[in-house]
Amino acid sequence: MSESPSGRVFDLGFRRYEGAREGRRRATLAVYKDGIRTAMGLGRGGKAKILPWLFIAASAIPALIFALLAGAVDRIDEDISDAADLPTHADLYGVSGIVLFLFAAVVGPELFCPDRSNGTINLYLVRPLRATDYAFARWAALTTVMLVVAWIPQLVLFLGLVFGDTKPGAYLSDHWADIPRFLAAGAVIAVFVSTMTAVAAAYARRRAYAAAFLVGVLVISLAVIDGVTDSIDDGVGRWLALLSVRDIPLYVNDVIFGEETSGIAEAYELPDAILVGWFLLVVIAGGLTVLNRYRRLSL
Amino acid sequence: MEALLRAETLTKRYGSVTALDEVSFEVGATITGLLGPNGAGKSTAIKLFLGLTEPTSGRAEVLGQAAGHDEQVRARLGYMPEHDCLPSSVSAAEFLSHMAETSGLPPRHARVRAADTLRHVGLFEERYRPIGGYSTGMKQRVKLAQALVHDPVLVLLDEPTAGLDPSGREEMLALIRKTHREFGISLVMSSHLMGDVERTCERILVLENGRVLEEGETSTFTEASETIYIEVTERVPELIAALAERNVEAREDGSSLVVDNVSGEDYDRIRDALVAADAPLRRLAPRRRTLTELFQGEEPGTRAEEST
Repeated sequence: MSESPSGRVFDLGFRRYEGAREGRRRATLAVYKDGIRTAMGLGRGGKAKILPWLFIAASAIPALIFALLAGAVDRIDEDISDAADLPTHADLYGVSGIVLFLFAAVVGPELFCPDRSNGTINLYLVRPLRATDYAFARWAALTTVMLVVAWIPQLVLFLGLVFGDTKPGAYLSDHWADIPRFLAAGAVIAVFVSTMTAVAAAYARRRAYAAAFLVGVLVISLAVIDGVTDSIDDGVGRWLALLSVRDIPLYVNDVIFGEETSGIAEAYELPDAILVGWFLLVVIAGGLTVLNRYRRLSL
Repeated sequence: MEALLRAETLTKRYGSVTALDEVSFEVGATITGLLGPNGAGKSTAIKLFLGLTEPTSGRAEVLGQAAGHDEQVRARLGYMPEHDCLPSSVSAAEFLSHMAETSGLPPRHARVRAADTLRHVGLFEERYRPIGGYSTGMKQRVKLAQALVHDPVLVLLDEPTAGLDPSGREEMLALIRKTHREFGISLVMSSHLMGDVERTCERILVLENGRVLEEGETSTFTEASETIYIEVTERVPELIAALAERNVEAREDGSSLVVDNVSGEDYDRIRDALVAADAPLRRLAPRRRTLTELFQGEEPGTRAEEST
């Protein structure tokens, strides 16, 4: 070896930290970031990534079918296509909303339950953030993931409708207003499912309990309310329809799109303000329940 | 010595159970051992200082502030819980980096600190493996690492050697000493093992039934509590006489002689007495007072009043 000895000694040991300490804001942001990574299985093993992407794929399937259907009908007969009431953005969550609910119910509790059952919550509670910051950050992380999951099928559908149309330019100029509508409708369903999931996960000891509870409430309330509203005819049915958990965001979805097809039919006898107000009330009450649960956890 | 922790007539009751009963003490910049049997109030004291629970009455102060409320104080505090607190699906590197961020460190610094801290606790090679596959000893070191990753001023360790085998326990205690010696981080460790506390801590605070039983420097503490066992095969009466000549009071305990309250010079005197008595020595061993003896030796309360 002809190299001159130029070795250097690096002190690789533990050092004092003199850098920035960004306190509560950084801590809350870190919990939010970790929440998104947890939900999507990033930084975890391969198995943790399968479930989220499976759900995203599943929620995109109805969108693809809608788009293919529209494109096909358009090619067979343009007049029928214009006249026919083909399923579109307004109808998507009526079909794929249940997948979003399942996604939140299965993936969401992972953001809340293990930290309490593993005891990791104690490590958070002694750090420079409050228990309510933690709960808010977890909720925000789940909502962010749900937003993306809710928007992906709408985008797939929109692109499918634009490029499947025989005149993409014309379709775009006629239907551009669908974009803000489906973004808003996606936000409504994302906020709703993540809030409901957070409520269940804030109390459930195990992820599976939270998931089972959510699916149970969803299915039972839909089945019971849908059945009961059919048989009641004196105006009480429209109010009972508000109690079907699955349908609460769907009513707002239909208010946004100006349709009356996704939820239980009787509810549309109520004014829009009640449908939107009820949604806001449930979301706010749910959010406060979660914050209150975590506030008491710190004491 | 500036107090890092201060308890002022600190009381915590859980229903009818009094976990801490009007205790007052201070902890300075050193390694302090909180010694006591299970249920003595050690974990409760730690939780009060961390703000994980509120005192029934009295005051717990950390770094000059009321415990648990000041964000700046929390940013400079480390906590290693007694029980499990680790997620299983993430790697130690990912977890440590995240924990550093939740202490307020920017992500870039957090990653560097995570790697540095894992090297410090001896888990550098394994840092990308999921924590779920770690041994108990490794998990304990991850728990210590997360308490150190943000370079705290003070670290509270709740039973850091719990569940470890003898070699794991030695390693953990050595790490704790090294953390204080090389980086000037002050530590408080709770333990029910006299030996662990004695070897690691510079000050000891003994808790029993929610009260401070004794407190002081470890050196004075162990001096007062050291006992020597002398085992000879014959000539026991001669040895007792030779010891008595040298003002060393020995009592017979089965086949051994026991000398209580041994000081440094007593070792020399015992050696001389053994030679003078021509007694064939089989064993000469110091034996520290065990925790049970420590608690039975004093009437609970008498010392507590002195120290409060």
